[in-house]
Amino acid sequence: MLDILSRPQDQIDLQHGAAPKPATSLNAVNNWVPHDIVMRDSWFPIAHSYGIGKTPVRRAIYSQPYFVWREGGKAVAAEFHPAEARMREKSIYTDAAGRYPVMEHYGVVWGWFGNPQAADPAHLPSLPFLPPQGGLPKYMTATQRFDCSAPISLENLIDLTHADFLHADVVGDERSDSETIETFYDSETITMVRTLVNKSVAPIMKFFSGIRQPTQNVRQVIRIYLRSHCAIAYGRFEPGDDVPLFHPCTPETRDRTRMEMVMNTSNAGLLFRHIMPMAGYKVSRQDSSMTSPQSPRYMRPTARKDLHSRFDAPGQRYRLLMQDLAARQAGGDFAYRDNVSEDCSDIIGLRKELFRF
Amino acid sequence: MTESGLQPWWIVARSEEVTSREPLSVDIGAQPLVLWRDAEGIARALEDRCPHRRAPLSLGCIRDDGWIQCGYHGWSYDGATGRLKQIPNMKGEQRFPPVYKAQAFAIAESGGFVRVCLDPAAAAPAPEVSTMALSGTAHVAIEQAAWIAALYDDPALLIDIRGVRFTPYLMSELREEGGLLVMERSCQWAGLHWPAPFSADFPITVLTRSDPATGRTELPLRDDQFTTLLTAVIAPVPAARGVTAVRWRAEVGRGSGLHGRLLGLGTPFAVREAIDAAALRRSKPSASTHYDDLRARLATSSTPGATAELSRTPVAA
Repeated sequence: MLDILSRPQDQIDLQHGAAPKPATSLNAVNNWVPHDIVMRDSWFPIAHSYGIGKTPVRRAIYSQPYFVWREGGKAVAAEFHPAEARMREKSIYTDAAGRYPVMEHYGVVWGWFGNPQAADPAHLPSLPFLPPQGGLPKYMTATQRFDCSAPISLENLIDLTHADFLHADVVGDERSDSETIETFYDSETITMVRTLVNKSVAPIMKFFSGIRQPTQNVRQVIRIYLRSHCAIAYGRFEPGDDVPLFHPCTPETRDRTRMEMVMNTSNAGLLFRHIMPMAGYKVSRQDSSMTSPQSPRYMRPTARKDLHSRFDAPGQRYRLLMQDLAARQAGGDFAYRDNVSEDCSDIIGLRKELFRF
Repeated sequence: MTESGLQPWWIVARSEEVTSREPLSVDIGAQPLVLWRDAEGIARALEDRCPHRRAPLSLGCIRDDGWIQCGYHGWSYDGATGRLKQIPNMKGEQRFPPVYKAQAFAIAESGGFVRVCLDPAAAAPAPEVSTMALSGTAHVAIEQAAWIAALYDDPALLIDIRGVRFTPYLMSELREEGGLLVMERSCQWAGLHWPAPFSADFPITVLTRSDPATGRTELPLRDDQFTTLLTAVIAPVPAARGVTAVRWRAEVGRGSGLHGRLLGLGTPFAVREAIDAAALRRSKPSASTHYDDLRARLATSSTPGATAELSRTPVAA
């Protein structure tokens, strides 16, 4: 079930309302070590479909090697490269033939990390703004890398107040008449909704989408699938466009992240449609400038706790949910208690009329 | 010292550096050593300190009979035992009590490297498999632990492989594998190309396999078809005054293509003598954090070959 959180994190553990009391303490939330979290039994995006051909390409999830290629047009992934001299034992993550479960959906190749017997398409995250069979133009996609841990990258994403400063030259500064943050979550997902009234217009929309007004109303949604470290970033701008972004953070190692990005700008004007996905190259480097030095500081427990404001409520909840899920997995419980493949259009407020496939 | 109480074997010299022409001064931490070859061509290692008046033996010479002679008063020592063999002014009275000796250390040579163990009774180490043709020595003004940390966090600060650009991105983080600490870093060929942060695939990787006790690291450069283009062995040894003495050997592999052929010209591998200190200061302790953690874990585990007191360097008596 989905619980609603729209109060400061300070009150999370003090109230006994509708939200279930989490197993993880507030102390742990403010002093977490995301570097130690390894999520299992999940689909991780490992490549864009067009990036996989007959020759094996190499990927990694938590340092576990994935060699991916096509056999008879079908994507397959193996633990060993066909040309590799085997210097190590087969892991528990592949079948007897050394193959991983693989599926292809939304124009992305997904590799299963965990017990291969537990792989199930029902655990694939719902991304309702992407065509199920893929096929979006290549310019709406990219591969981006971050030298930080995946949770650090996602925590960066879920607190969008950072964008007003780090990406002000792309998406506009912090000025607005009002700003509200809501958080929705279950055991497998967290969704943050940020609503701004009369926010200073995003420069990229001013220059490439022809927005002449000085302000716009903005509804931004960040939805994170905890296990797979996949996120949806969906912005609705009035006036302006709808910009849904698939923002996966595949943990190639515990402190290096790979993003097979897909931004569906099909409904935007010609110029904006092409330019906006390219902004990701700039934005990702801006993010990396902060998350890269930030990440090593979360590799070990420290005596000092992080501070937070009311805008951190989603981030605090994200930390808490990740720790709860990690604790559950550490105890041997890998079951999905909530359905991640259920259509999330309503939760993210997707204007379905714009994304019919 | 290893977990089992054994002192590690340190690569203190390349075979070419140890001769019967002149002594070689090296250190293992604060322990100065003198190396040379005796009359049979066997490498010898004594403390670099004459027991007479503490003068460095490395300032002396090697006699035709293979003994090392102090340059101060001419006392001569046998390399195998460290026993005093001659005091020139004593003329015919050349019989000395057993305590008249310099400290001798265990020494072994293979694969073009000379290794010394500070435990004279140490069992011989497993020999190196082969001798790589290319080699070099660099002395770097940085502590050994910091040198190794930099190797994991930003190898470009320390080493250079012709035409290779190291990226911050890893194929696998540092892990323990067969008693070694193993990590694989993605690399690009130098030149114009799509920037690393936006690259879907990388054409080459550098694998590092490090001995947790000494930091001796084997470093194969491989392409995406697992062809080994170059292999280097790097041995960073703590020396006096916080200096790290780095000996290395390398050989070019079977690489084809333009880049592979370029690696075959001259010496494509180098260890930098100087470090960009400003860049070092800015580099983040990322993979090296794993190195510290793994060494600590190995120190408390019972893994064979695991090490304790890994960062401890010997102190001269």
